[in-house]
Amino acid sequence: MRDRLSHLQEMSNGHVEPMEDAESTVSDTFSNVDLEEELPHEAVVFDDNSPALEEVFSQSQDIHREIQLIRLEVKRLREQNSRMLQGTTTMSTIKRDSNAIGADIKKRAEDVLARLHDMDGTSHKLEETHGSNSAVTRIARTQYACLSNGFRDAMFDYNEAEMSHRENCKAQIQRQMEIVGREVTGEEVEEMIEKGQWNIFNDNIVSEGKTARSALSQIEKRHQELVDLEARISGIHEIFLDIAMLVEEQGPMLTSIQSNVQKTDEGIQDALVKLGRAKRHDNNNPFKKMFCSCFPCFNS
Amino acid sequence: MAPSGLKAVVGEKILNGVIKSVKKDGEWKVLIVDHMGMRILSSCCKMSDILAMGVTIVEDINKRRERICSLEAIYLIAPVQKSVRALINDFKDVGFTYKAAHIFFTEPCPDGLFTEIGRSRVAKVAKTLKEINIAFLPCESQVFSLDDPTSLYSFYSSKPNEEKDKMIENLAEQIATVCDTLKEYPAVRYRKGPEENARLADEVYRRLTAHKADNPSMGEGPDKARTQLLIVDRGFDPISPILHELTFQAMAYDLLDIKQDIYMYQTTGIGDSKEREVLLNEDDDLWVQLRHMHIADVTKKVTELLRTFCESKRMCTDNANIKDLSQMLKKMPQYQKDLSMYSTHLHLAEACMKKFKASLDKLCEVEQDLVIGATPDGEPLKDAMKSIVPVLLNNELEPYDKIRIILLYIFHKKKGITEENLAKLIQHANIQADSNIITNLENLGCNIIAGGSNAGKTLPERKERTGSTYDLSRWTPIIKDVMENVIDDKLDKRQWPFISDPAPINTTQTAVSARFGHWHKNKSPPEYRTGPRLIIFVIGGVAHSEMRSAYEVTQATDGKWEVLIGSSHILTPTSFLNDLKSLDQVPNPDC
Repeated sequence: MRDRLSHLQEMSNGHVEPMEDAESTVSDTFSNVDLEEELPHEAVVFDDNSPALEEVFSQSQDIHREIQLIRLEVKRLREQNSRMLQGTTTMSTIKRDSNAIGADIKKRAEDVLARLHDMDGTSHKLEETHGSNSAVTRIARTQYACLSNGFRDAMFDYNEAEMSHRENCKAQIQRQMEIVGREVTGEEVEEMIEKGQWNIFNDNIVSEGKTARSALSQIEKRHQELVDLEARISGIHEIFLDIAMLVEEQGPMLTSIQSNVQKTDEGIQDALVKLGRAKRHDNNNPFKKMFCSCFPCFNS
Repeated sequence: MAPSGLKAVVGEKILNGVIKSVKKDGEWKVLIVDHMGMRILSSCCKMSDILAMGVTIVEDINKRRERICSLEAIYLIAPVQKSVRALINDFKDVGFTYKAAHIFFTEPCPDGLFTEIGRSRVAKVAKTLKEINIAFLPCESQVFSLDDPTSLYSFYSSKPNEEKDKMIENLAEQIATVCDTLKEYPAVRYRKGPEENARLADEVYRRLTAHKADNPSMGEGPDKARTQLLIVDRGFDPISPILHELTFQAMAYDLLDIKQDIYMYQTTGIGDSKEREVLLNEDDDLWVQLRHMHIADVTKKVTELLRTFCESKRMCTDNANIKDLSQMLKKMPQYQKDLSMYSTHLHLAEACMKKFKASLDKLCEVEQDLVIGATPDGEPLKDAMKSIVPVLLNNELEPYDKIRIILLYIFHKKKGITEENLAKLIQHANIQADSNIITNLENLGCNIIAGGSNAGKTLPERKERTGSTYDLSRWTPIIKDVMENVIDDKLDKRQWPFISDPAPINTTQTAVSARFGHWHKNKSPPEYRTGPRLIIFVIGGVAHSEMRSAYEVTQATDGKWEVLIGSSHILTPTSFLNDLKSLDQVPNPDC
């Protein structure tokens, strides 16, 4: 990359100021003529969009912060889950167990969903007041779209954390079952989880001895965790459905920059092209050319 | 998996070098782009990426924009008159459109325009002014485009073109920015024959040297002296852009209406059936896996992957197919992203096969026999005319398909055909309206009419290729032979001369320690890859099969070489034939 800011500033300082205005008015009559002539020059100054903009930014800031907090909670959950697996802490020393973290995530997620719906409402109102092509409406829409995607990713992350913990628990149960002399396949563990039948403990297993007892206690603990995990995931099912609806409505193309830019003011651009063509054809009108020489323009 | 290669390099340069470099906490910015800027940005960044770097809205510089005087603006534009005038206009009146300007030019700004900016009010509000030297689109990790579909016309039209010199200079500058971005200083070679190749190669060399003067680190690094840049013309291999290909990406772009990489189809999601638009690019991991695969393998692979996925997530279905997708989604909405990916590719494969089975299977057989010169059993093709006549008389085929067969027949004949024979073929096929497509190929240096202006020019000898291939996919693009020859250092210097004497090739391997000296390899930025590159530029458009060859050859070297290929634009058979059709016409002034 080449930095040329200093060149520019040198050039600007060396240039004499008063000439600038004269030059720019001269160049005005030659350049930008098409634009100025075709449409009346509206003062496209939206002095009142600043507070609306501020509100959009503050809304999105809040949601962003909440999403970051959810991510933090997910991280804590992962740590918590791995600690449980290693059995490095006992239940009593755990400040916040997985269920508490899960409940917290669910609450925040519901809060974010509500805020996103609010933001959606704000964008619709802005669209009505300022039009769908106005900058503040598009800013609101973009913020909303990106925040929804960010939220979805954070929640997927949460799901991933729970699912991988699930797999780890299953694997551990299998290992412990081997220790007590009863080998089980992954499928069988799944069945046990789903049906809630753990009475296979009662047949054909070694229940005597310290190793066996500790293995059985581990299996109990993992079983309990899996039950809690299932409850957490089914509790949050509704939220996932809502997120999926939200994102699906927007469509995947919204993250493409090209589609974000081209939506705006297309109508005006088309109109300009058509007017330009009409002007060219009009100037070539033979009648006009003929009359212009016969009847000099009358200036009042 | 994050994209690697060109997209990663350019994406990193833009996100960090441009947008992040002016990021200020708590402040949002407006990003203003012109057409080139927008295309570059869109090809390697998503809205969420730039939002994370503090950009809240992207505007087109040529459209009327509102004043947003509380925000600063970043301009990512080409240093051309239209964009510069629009930039100056933003700060002309007393009320500035934005609070300040950070200006980034895609290429070096010409003195005249620079002075204009210097004399305007922009100079007072500009907080940044840099030239980023990225004037191309990173389409894929190993494919670039200069985004100019008019290039074939500019080079090969029958009408005289006064702007040709300027056009070649611009092209050369763009190609030089590709090398600059990759920090390569390659030896420039061109295919001896058409004079445009030599002129372009010359100009590229001049621009490269200018860039190297500003950026001495170009071309430094172990083995970088072997990097080469090849300039080749479209006429060198006119077969690859015309042939019906059966690999996923090539087939989809040929048979379906995919514009700007967007594929549209009907689907059932959680709600009702709706029209869905999907972008086919490297952010879609499954697309990257499937795009170069033969279509027969694609459906198999996707179904297999979907089944594995469903099993691992405990979604009980008897048949993992797209019809049960809405059920799966209701049960496990958190897998929406993955499921829609599978759905997209199954639909795409299905659509391709539908079109193929409708009319193309017989056609492809004939085509392959023509281009290989033999049947799948190895029998040389005896009577080519006999095999193409039924195709020409088939009224269900599109005119363009018939033209493609006629062209492949002509290339099979090596010395061209007589005017009468051509007229007869055109009549059989009933394609009089489009017949100039065939003759216009002579502008590219191809031998169409026997004894005509291109008599004596033949397509190069091909390498023998063995290995299991599908009967309908025996053709390999000619450029693949060239790529392999460059890597083996066997490319004939007389047919492919160097512009300047290349650095002596060090054939002895320098001793590399297994223990020491590798500490930097995990932390290197994307463009710093050890090992030489082969960069190929095709004048007039590059075909999908040639893009695929770049990846195949790279893989075959096991990562030692990286082959990149690019052109002014990417061709589909239809767009190529359309381009050819217009070669003898005057361009439309209203476009």
